[in-house]
Amino acid sequence: MDKVLEVKELSKQYTKLLAVDKVSFDIAPGEIFALIGPNGAGKTTTIRMISTLLTPTSGDAIVAGNSIVKAPKKVRESITYLPDEAGAYKNMKGIEYLRFMAGLFTNDPKKVNEYVERAKSINKLGERLNDKLGSYSRGMIRKVLLSRAVMTQPKLAILDEPTSGLDVLNAIEIRKTIKQLAAEEGMSFLLSSHNMLEIEFVSDRVGIIAKGHLLVTGRTDELKARYNAANLEEVFERVVNGNEIL
Amino acid sequence: MKFFNLLKKEIKDLVNLQMIMGIVVVMMLFFMLGNVMGSTMDEVSKMGSTINLCDRDNTALTAEIIDMMKENDTEIKLVDSQGDDYAAILSSNDIDNLVIIPEGFSEAFEKGEKPEIINITRMKSASAFASITSDNTAATDQISSCLTDLRYKDVDISEDERDIITDPVEVVDNTVVADKSAKISSLVVAGSLSLQGMLLPIIVFVLIMMTSQGLMNAISTEKIDKTLETLLSTPVSRTSILSAKMLAAAIVAMLQAVAYMISFSTFAAGMAGNMGSAINAGTNVASDVDTSAIIGEVMSSSAAMNQLGLTLSVTDYLLVGLQLFLTIMICLCVSLILGSLVSDMKSAQTLILPLALCAMIPYIITMMTDVNSLPTALKLVVYAIPFTHTFTSIPNLMFGHDNVFFIGLIYQIIFFAVCLFFALRLFNSDKILTVSLNLGQKSKFKKNQKQYTDE
Repeated sequence: MDKVLEVKELSKQYTKLLAVDKVSFDIAPGEIFALIGPNGAGKTTTIRMISTLLTPTSGDAIVAGNSIVKAPKKVRESITYLPDEAGAYKNMKGIEYLRFMAGLFTNDPKKVNEYVERAKSINKLGERLNDKLGSYSRGMIRKVLLSRAVMTQPKLAILDEPTSGLDVLNAIEIRKTIKQLAAEEGMSFLLSSHNMLEIEFVSDRVGIIAKGHLLVTGRTDELKARYNAANLEEVFERVVNGNEIL
Repeated sequence: MKFFNLLKKEIKDLVNLQMIMGIVVVMMLFFMLGNVMGSTMDEVSKMGSTINLCDRDNTALTAEIIDMMKENDTEIKLVDSQGDDYAAILSSNDIDNLVIIPEGFSEAFEKGEKPEIINITRMKSASAFASITSDNTAATDQISSCLTDLRYKDVDISEDERDIITDPVEVVDNTVVADKSAKISSLVVAGSLSLQGMLLPIIVFVLIMMTSQGLMNAISTEKIDKTLETLLSTPVSRTSILSAKMLAAAIVAMLQAVAYMISFSTFAAGMAGNMGSAINAGTNVASDVDTSAIIGEVMSSSAAMNQLGLTLSVTDYLLVGLQLFLTIMICLCVSLILGSLVSDMKSAQTLILPLALCAMIPYIITMMTDVNSLPTALKLVVYAIPFTHTFTSIPNLMFGHDNVFFIGLIYQIIFFAVCLFFALRLFNSDKILTVSLNLGQKSKFKKNQKQYTDE
């Protein structure tokens, strides 16, 4: 089956810093792929390049058959992006926000309604959607943003730290939603997270990145076996420590 | 459709309670100022028609002077007073001005000397109107005029001959503007132009301040809350996002301009009306001035303005409107660039300062003097500020400085094109997300950015 995302030797050089160095990986339809790594590893830069927010210094990524370098607008039609700790327009009501964002993906009013209804069924916020976003708790905002990110049924949803700052119950709910959407609707996800337990629970495959280098990729159980580790945290520790020369 | 969706959102973002309150407060301020000025002018009128007089000489001559003043429809309030504690005299009689005819007044007059009158005025504050309301000039002028009449009463000369002696020169005022002239005092022309001249600078200044603040807050909030990242990752071009933001801000700024223009016009109209009545009241007091002549001069000032070319045609108004539009667009581009560079609200507020200065310098200069009369080096510096050309647009068009106006217009167009180019470049590059100007404080955004660039 064709890959939803193929990242080919993607690099990003800032003035003095090589933030990402020839990173390559791919994601299959319906697959949840997680990029994990310490602070400053290059996760967010990689994700932003794939989201067409940043231009790669070299390399390319093909999203649903379109190059992020040559056809970024086409790429944006196939993806949605949820930034880490993203906020929302505080003066907008939840429902207005969803309608506004849906209107950026289609010109068809019927489709807009369809997207909004879908988002409502995912975030389950009911009547609270008629309140201004400024009055929402952090968990509620995250639910609205996640439902916004998946309401258009993108081929690839890119979520940067999807549960950061959330309490346990809200985090569990969001993880379940992600798994459900991938399993039932075949939506692919690219996640980044510091939370190894979350990644172990939610992702099909992981990529461990440090200092701009993608050190290893594989299924969680494969990696645990390969590094003789009890959990993903131990895998992460051994991979990162084993590559200290980097 | 997507663009209108964006535009609607941007307009809703800008038209918030804070902005509406801003307009309401400014409008109320103008109405209030109009009323305050109006009531002050009314007071001037009332004060002008009543003279507080204390006759300490109490002779037939002073009684005759008082009668002559009364014959001229002057209301005289006679006040009794002793000594020279003038503050106490004003307070005990609850008045702010007084003219005292001292003892020996008639004696001096009869000897052919210059008799003294004592003029007392209470100064309540440093404001211009405070001194106008308690001014006694009309009263002393009228007493002088009566004395002149009395001095010549027994001299065998005609009234015309007496006029020639007391007022030997007939001044015929002529004002020349460019190649046109009209029979009118330049002071009257300047007075007529002053209120008009105040309107545009105030509107331009308020618009620059409010537009830049609104847009800088909007864009910096989007960046700090990361809603900008979400927006940029949607299938809408960055140019559309930028255009929607600028168009929304321009529409809101134009609506503000109309609101301010209406409120200021109401204020100016009220002021002009009250000033007219105050002038008339003042002329009634001074009996030697022909009131109808003054009214005639006031009424003919509009004709003189037409004759001098000091009116704006429809084309002129369109040109001034174009400059106002360009000023707003330049302001929007600069605000957008600055707002995109900041990483916290405090920095956004700080970065408004240079824009505020660029608006304040031409505003103050145009209020005080003609920019074209400044020394060349200073003039170039002031004209290098693109907003200056809008501040000076009306006088430049009225006084025939068409070259200066059109050079300014071309300069504004070039300046706008350059600003737009940089705004587009910034918005279409990585810098919109990676550049962060942090003016002296560590923000959450900066920490995020550091982490982000490290990654």
